[in-house]
Amino acid sequence: MQELGKQQKMVIGMVGLPARGKTYISRKICRYLNWMGFKSKVFNIGNYRRQICGTDCNSNFFDPGNKDASKARDECALLALNDMINYLRNEGDVSLYDGTNTTKQRRKLIMETLQQKFSEVQVFWVESICNDEDVILRNIQLTKLNNPDYVGKSSDEATQDFQQRIEQYAKVYEPIDMDENISFIKIIDIGNDIMIYNIQGFLQSKLVSYLMNLHIYPRPIYLSRHGESQYNVVHKVGGDSDLTQTGLMYAKQLGKYFVQELEGSRNIKMFTSTMQRALRTSNEVCELLGVEYYSLKALDEINPGICDGLTYQQIADKFPQDYEERKMNKLTYRYPRGESYLDVISRVEQIIFEIERSRLPVIVIAHQAILRCLYAYFHEHEVPEIPKLNIPLHQVIKLVPAAYYCKETRIKIDPMTGHWEIQDEATIKKVKSFLDL
Amino acid sequence: MQQYKKTQYKLILVLVGLPARGKTHISYKLNRYLNWIGYKSEIFSIKGAQQNDAQLDQNIDYELEIDPGNQQFAEVRQHLSSTAAQQLVTFLQSDGDIALYNGLTSTKADRQKLKSFFKETLKLEYQTFWIESICDDPQVILNNINESKLSRFKDKTIEQFMNHINVLAQHYESLENTENLSYIKLINIGKLVKVHMLEGYLCSKIVSFLLNLHANNRQIYLVRSCQTEYHLLDKIGGDPELSAAGKQNSQQLGDYFIEELKGNKNITLFTSQMKRGIQTAEIVGEKLGIKALKTKNLDEIDYGICDGLTVKEIAAKYPKQIKERKANPLEFKYPRGESFLDVIHRVEPIIYEIERSRDPVLIIAHVAVLKCLYAYYHCNQISEIPNIDIPINCVIKLVPIPYHCLESRVNIK
Repeated sequence: MQELGKQQKMVIGMVGLPARGKTYISRKICRYLNWMGFKSKVFNIGNYRRQICGTDCNSNFFDPGNKDASKARDECALLALNDMINYLRNEGDVSLYDGTNTTKQRRKLIMETLQQKFSEVQVFWVESICNDEDVILRNIQLTKLNNPDYVGKSSDEATQDFQQRIEQYAKVYEPIDMDENISFIKIIDIGNDIMIYNIQGFLQSKLVSYLMNLHIYPRPIYLSRHGESQYNVVHKVGGDSDLTQTGLMYAKQLGKYFVQELEGSRNIKMFTSTMQRALRTSNEVCELLGVEYYSLKALDEINPGICDGLTYQQIADKFPQDYEERKMNKLTYRYPRGESYLDVISRVEQIIFEIERSRLPVIVIAHQAILRCLYAYFHEHEVPEIPKLNIPLHQVIKLVPAAYYCKETRIKIDPMTGHWEIQDEATIKKVKSFLDL
Repeated sequence: MQQYKKTQYKLILVLVGLPARGKTHISYKLNRYLNWIGYKSEIFSIKGAQQNDAQLDQNIDYELEIDPGNQQFAEVRQHLSSTAAQQLVTFLQSDGDIALYNGLTSTKADRQKLKSFFKETLKLEYQTFWIESICDDPQVILNNINESKLSRFKDKTIEQFMNHINVLAQHYESLENTENLSYIKLINIGKLVKVHMLEGYLCSKIVSFLLNLHANNRQIYLVRSCQTEYHLLDKIGGDPELSAAGKQNSQQLGDYFIEELKGNKNITLFTSQMKRGIQTAEIVGEKLGIKALKTKNLDEIDYGICDGLTVKEIAAKYPKQIKERKANPLEFKYPRGESFLDVIHRVEPIIYEIERSRDPVLIIAHVAVLKCLYAYYHCNQISEIPNIDIPINCVIKLVPIPYHCLESRVNIK
């Protein structure tokens, strides 16, 4: 189905005053598109401006009356546009133009330049509007103060200067109008109001559905595999086997972990697959927590087709050609009568929507290939890396989405003793994540 | 354990809009979609309440007409609207999941009244979502009136309809944020869409669905992949290639479409990732000069442990499963395989693509998958799915029009 979206290249233009979440949104869209198989890249105008005009630009640089600065900023915008077009001409499918683009004149300039230089491209605009002062201040504190523009300045100085910068932009801000005859989505007050105009095509439809689900509640996401299963012990692939004793003990310990971690709260959303090993694990956890889970076929383990029930050695003996093919190209290789990792990504997309939409903590108890795909989405891993990601048994991965990335903690739970070993981010980065399944 | 489809609360979808704005059409489509994905959903409307009331004159459009002489029509309208709301509550209090309401909702006062009514009478957790259809394109309004006339009020003139609508328009109040209601406004068949306070799994799904609707009456063709060896051996499932006869039939299929589509290249051709689907689609695609889009969503139902066996072998080996399937053919899941419900869920993204497409769509797939797709357009109950007839070498042409779906079948031989 991705082919439907690849029939035309696309440029997504961001619009909005500073500190309205444009970079946040564009990076999320970029992460989602790359995960889905559309090669995407964000071109941040601020970075171009910093490269060309330096980082010592206080709010006066952004005064619309400052002719020299305006000229410089226009040049930066066009440079970024050129790079964007080159990207699309070569390997890119989607370019994201992350800038304020707050005047009709600027948007017209971009549309006309694109018409001229790359007329086959589809253009879609995403405008973020926010009038909540608290949210804006929070955005400034979270993302602007670490900005290269404010190195060496106190946080009060920086906040004040940034607010003045916003005022310069506000002087000439023209929200997108239907008269401009462009396709757009306006996200107002973090999605409380949404306006969609003239969307066309598979990809724009998908993006709109995606964007409607986003919010900024910092809720944690817990990923865990089922406890050790009988097939795990004999290294067989696939099947619908039950948990071993050890696996069952892990399930109970996992429940205890969550009871403590969630401090007795029942306000969570839990998802699992329809396979025995996951259901049994989830049952144990839910009993201790006092919640119910959602059992979805979409979370079932990757289907190994004709190799179901065989060990890797048996696969190598019986189907040597397939074994080699898989080793060479684990991402796209499809088990005969089964699935590939790409099929799993497609299948698991609806879960990503559900996790994004949830404002409550989310727990997913599933399987290795599934969790590799989900984990890769949150961590912005390159898609070819997915089949090699390290997701061992008896470990909980806790992800807390922060401004532009995800904070990760891993908790190893010993099924016998119930002892926890917490690995924070620094330790995780040291451990190599290559594992041959 | 809880299947994700069932939500913990009931849902009321309230339609708002002047007549001839497509409210009935939207409610029919939504209702059909929601039933198809497994919810018990029903429409409660003034029209419906009128049809169920034998004492009323069925030739008067109580929803629309103004009787300048007396208040009678307005009173009847009010009464029918309340009856519909009452029936809605009864439905949700029992086993209904989702109710669509098409009654008096044109003013803020009406809406607050309705909101209070539900609050007072519904004794369980529920969510309300308001769907407004706005249109200022005179051609679209005219089309809608013509369609209404065709279906019910043949002896009324267009002028009469327009007059009634204009009177109602004077008191009409569009949804506003101050009313504190969660809503979607569809303006000019979705060219402009506004969403306010969207919340919840179901409402998100409904919004995504509504964004794809349009008014183009385009054709949808459903065809099975052609004959394979498995057909000859009476085996089910598998991933066999086309037989010689199958290849020939594919050629004939291609020829049929060349004539049928009259050189139109703006069609989308979908097929599965199974060999027989791909081979059939490639032959047809070559004839038409278009490329087939292959998606695993259209793969045949997974027969699990029964895959590759003949019908006789299954009867001998798995008599228990045969009994189970007979008892409940819709929900029966082949061990290590799928049920029809799983297939519906798998095929849902294709429905979105068909809805979104304004050009003809051609789908080359397999029996169980096509039954599910066909049911979306034709069946009121998904329990009918296992009995649908989808013969091989037969092109099923569906043209969805407001309130119905036209169907014709052509045997290719």
